[in-house]
Amino acid sequence: MTRILTLALTLLLALTGLAAAQTRGGTLVAAWAQEPVGLDPRITSAMSSYQVLENVLDTLIILDADQNLVPSLAESWTVADDGLTVTFDLRDGVKFSNGKDLTAADVVTVFERILDPETGSGNAWRLAAVDAVTAPDAGTVVFALNAPSPSLLGHLASIKALGIFDPAGIADGSVNARPVGTGPFMIADYQPGTRVLLERNPYYWEEGLPYLDAVDIRIIGDETVRRTALVTGDIDWAFAVPPQSVEELSARDDVVVDAAAAGAYHYLGVNTREGPLADPRVRQAIAFAINRDNVAAAGEFGNAAVTQEPIPATSSWSFGYGPYGYDPDRARELLAEAGYVDGFEIEIIPTTFIEATIRAAQVIQADLAAVGIRTEIRTLEWAEWLEEQGTGNYDTYVCSWNGLVDPDDYYYAQHRTGEVFNFTGYSNASVDELLDQARVIADPAERRPLYEEINRAIVDDAPYVYLYNPLQPHAYAPDVEGFQARADQALRFVRTWLDR
Amino acid sequence: MNLAYLLHRLGTLLLVLVGVSLVTFAIVPLLPGSPVRVTLGVQATPESVAALERQMGLDRPLAVQYVDWIGGIVLRGDFGDSLISRQPIAGEVRRRVPATLTLAVAALLVGLAIALPMGFLSALAPGSRRDLGVSVLSQIGVSVPDFWMGILLILLFAETLGWLPSSGYRPLAEGFGPWARHLVLPAVTVGIISGSIMTRFVRSALLEVLGQDYVRTARAKGVPRPIVLRKHVLRNAAIPIVTIVGLQMATLLSAVVVVEIIFAWPGLGQLALTATLQRDYPALQAAVLLSAVAFTVINLLTDLSYALLDPRVAYA
Repeated sequence: MTRILTLALTLLLALTGLAAAQTRGGTLVAAWAQEPVGLDPRITSAMSSYQVLENVLDTLIILDADQNLVPSLAESWTVADDGLTVTFDLRDGVKFSNGKDLTAADVVTVFERILDPETGSGNAWRLAAVDAVTAPDAGTVVFALNAPSPSLLGHLASIKALGIFDPAGIADGSVNARPVGTGPFMIADYQPGTRVLLERNPYYWEEGLPYLDAVDIRIIGDETVRRTALVTGDIDWAFAVPPQSVEELSARDDVVVDAAAAGAYHYLGVNTREGPLADPRVRQAIAFAINRDNVAAAGEFGNAAVTQEPIPATSSWSFGYGPYGYDPDRARELLAEAGYVDGFEIEIIPTTFIEATIRAAQVIQADLAAVGIRTEIRTLEWAEWLEEQGTGNYDTYVCSWNGLVDPDDYYYAQHRTGEVFNFTGYSNASVDELLDQARVIADPAERRPLYEEINRAIVDDAPYVYLYNPLQPHAYAPDVEGFQARADQALRFVRTWLDR
Repeated sequence: MNLAYLLHRLGTLLLVLVGVSLVTFAIVPLLPGSPVRVTLGVQATPESVAALERQMGLDRPLAVQYVDWIGGIVLRGDFGDSLISRQPIAGEVRRRVPATLTLAVAALLVGLAIALPMGFLSALAPGSRRDLGVSVLSQIGVSVPDFWMGILLILLFAETLGWLPSSGYRPLAEGFGPWARHLVLPAVTVGIISGSIMTRFVRSALLEVLGQDYVRTARAKGVPRPIVLRKHVLRNAAIPIVTIVGLQMATLLSAVVVVEIIFAWPGLGQLALTATLQRDYPALQAAVLLSAVAFTVINLLTDLSYALLDPRVAYA
C-alpha cells in the first residue's frame, strides 16, 4: 500500500513538475537546410517557404496529427448534399498579427487573388473546382463549386499557400516578403539566405499559445555544419537531418531524432512519349530491374520504406499493390519481348537539390546495366532540372512528390492525359475516365474501389516507377518539448516549448 | 601623381563597368532554367509561368530590360527587387558588404601573418631544410580545398574542443566578443590558403632582391645584415609584395564564396551563389557588377600605392 502511495505521489509530483516547467518564453533557434524561395503565399511553391508560412498563416481548416480535418479559422463547415457548395463558419474574434479583425471579406479577397490568373499562383490548380467564393455575412464564407470536389478540403487544410493573409498587404506590397497572418507567429525579420525571425503573435486566437517568444530560423546549407551546430548547442532544432547522420545522431543522448513516415514518395519518372520507353513492357522491365532495397539504402540510408505504389502503407488509402519484385530475369524477358534484346541507351536526370536522387540514380544505373539498358546520369541543379522536366526534355528523372493528402492528389494531376503535372506524357483513356469519376465522389467507401483500379493501372503501365516512401527525420535538443514530426511534413511550433 | 591620371583611370573604370554590365545582362538569362520555374517548382502550369514572367518583366525585350535596369542604378541607385525574395537588392547588398569585407580583411591579415615570416624564413636560406619545409607547408596549404579545411576546423574547434561557434556571423555592433569568436574559423580557413599562396610570392620577391648587385655591395662594404635587409631588401621587395597583396584582396572577395556557404556567413558570395541557383537575375547582376567594381578599385589603389613606395614611380 505504501509503495503504491509513494508511486502515486511520485507520479503526481512528476506531473506537477511537467506542468510547471511548461512555461512560456524563450527563443527556439532552428536551422533550415534550404532557404525559403520567397514568402509570398500567393505564388511560392517551395517546401522551405511553406514550412515558414506554416507558423505564420492559418488555413480555414487544418489536418491534425492523424491527418483528420479539424477546425482552424473556420469553426465548422458543411458540404451541401449535391457537393456543389461548401460553407465555412468563421471563428469569432480572430485578429491578424497587426491587430486587425479577420473578416469573411478578407477570406474572399485572398481566394479571389489566388484564383486570378494574373497572380500566377502555383496553387490555383488546387482550386480548379471553385467557381466563386463569397461572403454572405461577416462570419460566413461560401465556396461555390462547378463539380463536387472531395479533395478540395484536403487542399484547403494542408497547403499553407492557401492560408489567409491580411489583404491590405497586397496594396502596400508587404505580402510579397512579409505576409501578415493570424497564425501563432509573425515574420519579424526576413534576411534572404540568412535568417527568418518569427516572433510571437500577441493577438493569436488560441488561448495561451504559442509558448515560445520567437523562432529564429537560420539557413545552414552544409549538412556537416548543421549537424555540428546541433550537437554543440549553437542551434536547438534542425530541419532536414542528412539521412546518413540519423543513425549516429539517434545514438547520442544530447540529441532527439524524431521521424515520421512522410506523405511523400520518390520515383523514377519515365518519358512515355517516344522511343523504347513508349512501350509499357520496357517500363515494366525497368520496374523489375530495380532493386528498391538498394535504392532506399543508398538514397536515404535506409530511412525509407520501399514501395511499388505511391500512397504509403501508413495511410488508410494504401492498396498494397506490388507486382514488381526485384527480378532481372523477368526484366530481360520483357525487353526481349519488346524487341530490345541488346538493350538501348537512356539518360537519367537527378538533381543536386535533392541529394538522395543522385544516390538513387547511381543504383538504378547499375541495376539497369545488369539487364542491358545503358544509362548516362546527367545531374542538374534545380533551376535547370525544372526546366528540362517541365518541358519534357529527358528520358527518365528521379524526384519526389511531397505533402499529398487525398488520393486524387496522388494520381490526377500527374497522370491524367494532358493534365498540368503530367510530365511523362502518360495517357490512358480508361484511367482518365476513372479519375474523373472518382474525384467527384464524396463517400470514401465508394471511392476506394475506383482508386484501387486506378492505382493498379498506373502501376502496371509504369509511367512512374515508384521507389520508396521516405521517413522525414528531424533532430533537436532534448530540452525541446512539444514538437511532433508529422506525416504531412508540416513543421508547427505552436505547442513547442523549451524545458530550460 | 596628377589629377589627369586619376581621371583617366576612373574613366577606364567606368568603361569596364559598362562592359561588365552589358556582358552579365546578356549572359545571365542564357543560363538554363528561370526564376519563374524556381518559384513555382514542380507546380508550374503554363498559365502561372506566363503570369509570373509578365510580373517579373521577363517577357519584355532584353534591351528594354537592360535600359530599365541600368537606368534604375544610375538615376536612383536602385538595383531593383529580388525576383525571389521580393526584397530590394540594394538593401541586401548593404547588409552583406560588411560581412564579406570583414572576412576578406581578416583572412588577408591571417594570410600576411603566415606569408611574411614564412617567406622570410625560406628566402634567407634558400635550398636549406627550412626552405624545403616552408615549400612543403605552402604546397599543402595551396592544395587543400577550402570547404574541406573549413569542415575540419569546425569539427575540431567547435565540436571536439568546443572553443568556437560552428558557424554564423555576428555584426560588430552586437559586441566584440561574439563578433571575433564567429570570425576566427572562417578567417583562418581562407587565410591559410591565401597565406600559402602569398608565401611563395614573398619568398621569390625577396630572393630576387637579395641577388641584386646593390645588396652584395652593401654587404661588401660592411653594412650589417639587419640594416641591409630593412633598408635595401624590404623596400625594394615591397612593390611585388604589395601587388600580390592587392591581387589577393581582390581575389579574396570572390574566393570567400565557398567559405561563406560552409560557415553560413551572410556575405556577397553567398548572395551570388543563391542568386545563381535561383536564377535571380537582378541579384546576380548586382553581385557581378559589385565584384567588378571591387576588383578594379583595388587594382587602382594598388597601382597608386606604388608611387608611395618607390619615388621613381610617377604617373602621368
